[in-house]
Amino acid sequence: MFEPTGATPPDIRREIIPVPCDDVALDLHVWQPPRPRAAVFYFHGLQSHAGWLWETGPRFAERGVALFVLDRRGSGTSEGARGEIPDAATVLADYAAALAVVRDLIGEETALCLFGHCLGGSFLAALLKSGTLHVPYEAAVFCSAWLGKLHATLSEDQLRALACDNGTQPHDVGLSAADFTADPRYRRFIDGDDLAIRSLTGRSRAALLQLEAMYLDPEAPALPPDVATAFVSGSADPIVDLDDAHRTFIQLTAGRGEIALLPTDRHYLLYTEVRDRLISWTTDFISAARPRHAVGARRHG
Amino acid sequence: MPGARSLSAEPAESAWLALWYDRRAGFLSECLTARSALLADLASPRAAQDRVLADIVGISASSVHWREQGYDALVASGPADLAQAYREFLPIMRYDDFVPLLEREARTKGGVLTCSPVLRWLRTSGTTGTPKLVPYTQHWLLAYRMPAIRAMWGTYLRFHPEILAHPYTTLDTQTVREDAGDFVHGVEHQAISNRNPRLHDGDWNPPWYEAPWFLPDVPRGHEERMYHRIRQLLGRELRYIAAINPSTLISLRCLIREYRAELVEDLRQGTLRGQPWGAPDPQEAARLDRLLADPDFRLTQVWPSLTLYSCWLAGSAGLYQDKLDAILPGVDRLPFMSCGTEGVTAIPVDENLVSQPLSVNQAFYEFVPAEIPLGELLDAGERVETLLFDELVPGRDYHLIMSQANGLYRLWTGDIYHVDHAVDGVPWIYFVRRDGVFHSFTGEKLTEADVTRALRQGFAELGLELGLYLCGPQWEEPPHYLVMAESSQASATLDGRLSEAVDRALAQVNIEYASKRDSARLGPIRVRLVPNQAVSDYVESRRTQGNGTQYKYKPFQQDTAFVHQIPAP
Repeated sequence: MFEPTGATPPDIRREIIPVPCDDVALDLHVWQPPRPRAAVFYFHGLQSHAGWLWETGPRFAERGVALFVLDRRGSGTSEGARGEIPDAATVLADYAAALAVVRDLIGEETALCLFGHCLGGSFLAALLKSGTLHVPYEAAVFCSAWLGKLHATLSEDQLRALACDNGTQPHDVGLSAADFTADPRYRRFIDGDDLAIRSLTGRSRAALLQLEAMYLDPEAPALPPDVATAFVSGSADPIVDLDDAHRTFIQLTAGRGEIALLPTDRHYLLYTEVRDRLISWTTDFISAARPRHAVGARRHG
Repeated sequence: MPGARSLSAEPAESAWLALWYDRRAGFLSECLTARSALLADLASPRAAQDRVLADIVGISASSVHWREQGYDALVASGPADLAQAYREFLPIMRYDDFVPLLEREARTKGGVLTCSPVLRWLRTSGTTGTPKLVPYTQHWLLAYRMPAIRAMWGTYLRFHPEILAHPYTTLDTQTVREDAGDFVHGVEHQAISNRNPRLHDGDWNPPWYEAPWFLPDVPRGHEERMYHRIRQLLGRELRYIAAINPSTLISLRCLIREYRAELVEDLRQGTLRGQPWGAPDPQEAARLDRLLADPDFRLTQVWPSLTLYSCWLAGSAGLYQDKLDAILPGVDRLPFMSCGTEGVTAIPVDENLVSQPLSVNQAFYEFVPAEIPLGELLDAGERVETLLFDELVPGRDYHLIMSQANGLYRLWTGDIYHVDHAVDGVPWIYFVRRDGVFHSFTGEKLTEADVTRALRQGFAELGLELGLYLCGPQWEEPPHYLVMAESSQASATLDGRLSEAVDRALAQVNIEYASKRDSARLGPIRVRLVPNQAVSDYVESRRTQGNGTQYKYKPFQQDTAFVHQIPAP
């Protein structure tokens, strides 16, 4: 159900823009209101893709915010081998290319928020720390993202073994729709989604480890101090160790970020009762981020 | 008879009454504004069609499908050349041609056929029985579907402003609110008549949206839903009953008759199905009980305040007119728009019951003369030239090809329309029949329109009025057609003379029928008269849960099974 505002909703543009990256075409999904006042670039997680955001896009648009989602190589409607994540440099180059397209579309004056959900947060963190992103942005939000999960949960031996894993056998990613949402409608959708990623090869997991290492490296360049950063999640999360994720986030942002908790115990906030609050919170966060400086109700550091 | 009750009613009731009053002025304004916009476009139909086509190109040019097919090159066409270029570039499509694209669209929820988000999938039964998927996009909803329904209600309100006099004046059976039970990749898949939930503030929002008889918790079955509507409006100053199909109005009266005892008791006790509801009204209960004792009671006796009803009244729906006159004598009538789930074709702007103006601001319309075998030509891959709205000839029938801004471009709808006349260059049309829906034992391709016309002629010869009928093929040697038709003078002695008259008339209407009759490959059509309510009751018995609002009477039957279920006189 929507919350009536009495305002005529905007005539939203929903486009799928091709982003050529090497030899594959990636799909950049867009929900754009007329004259957006801000934009969100969403890094989707391991299993999901832009097709999960059919309600989120219009709700951002109703608040004057354009939503961009790149279907990662091998995910959603983008080309690329299913169940495969390429090496870190390729993934980050794909995102950088898509973000250049986005910045070109929205212009220099529109605030841009990078929003990483779950594993998407890991991609986002790696991109920010890699020094390869030359597109200006005003805010970065990590949502239900277990930053540094592999490093936190694997032993030294396991980490060494994983780093060398070049396996092509698919492994079940072990995600359950019930952890994502309590709503039966969304559970049915997740379980029946034939575009969702259900397995991952060993070498893909090695690539994820490589990405983690990039942002966990204490020698990596710091995030720009004038960028607003935040970590948002449910008050509990069945998939993410929030305490560990918060520690990594604080380390990543040198204590300049905000941490927000919304009242749900499920992982995929956009399929819970806090969806509209998350969207409103994000919209407000971007607005407060202009001009570029960090703000937040709860500071850590 | 009591009219509006005050806001000091029970809390739940006063809440929806407050919403009704809050919403009335806005609703009235929206509907009259939409009607004015339609009238302005009807005065400049060419400009309206050019604008619609430019919009369709604008909303689709950057879509995945249009880019893949190179249709996006159309944006380079100037306004003067667009209609021609559009028809040269894009093929005429059938629904099945869109299916692979709709499956892609179902996963992305927009961007494949148009650059507008798909908010919902509209369900409609295909001719094969497989439910179709019609994309209900944000742009289509805001710029087309809402203006269409508002313009129609604008006409109702222009001619009958009393239907918004107070919260109990209008019973709307055109639309319902039901929780969706079916989803396509997470998105609701439901009939367009189901307006639940509202998608946003631009969605359909009549003042009675929160009325207790309109809420989603009203039982879904046709009879029980109707019972709730009737019970809640009994004893009220009801002015208007809005329906799509005339059979709904007939059914309403049948159910009042069938549930007489329960309705009277609920009214007397102040209950609804035995549960407390409203104040006891023994006086009205007694009045109702007395009048329902008469088997020929009229809806105007149940609600003496009725001033208007609306429903489809052209084509086969027109066969209901005598029945409607009998139960709603002296009540004004206005037509429902000519439309399908796929889009709107004509919207009433006045009290004309026969035809309505082509809704030039709703779609880009093309036509092909009905006598051209469009399906065969498309199957053969031939290019088919189409006519635009200003090239039609009054008195002739046409296939309709419709481009909607929801991505279904150049869709051959399968509907055949008759052009009645033209006003200011705009054809006034009415639906005649579905293409390809005919009976044919040996190539005669008998259409519903053929049979209706022959029946009317045959009945007139004997001084009879034609009401509802059913027609089916009887496989005997030689095969023949069997019709059961209602008449107040039903008797076996009339059947023979009537059959002969209809057989002669049919031979005039359809020359292939005449040829097959001459060569004895077909036996003569046989017409059996049955009592006035017999076909109507049979039709009602086929109405099921889930098809209540959109249930249609179809004179043509696949077989003659109905013969054994309709009692002889």
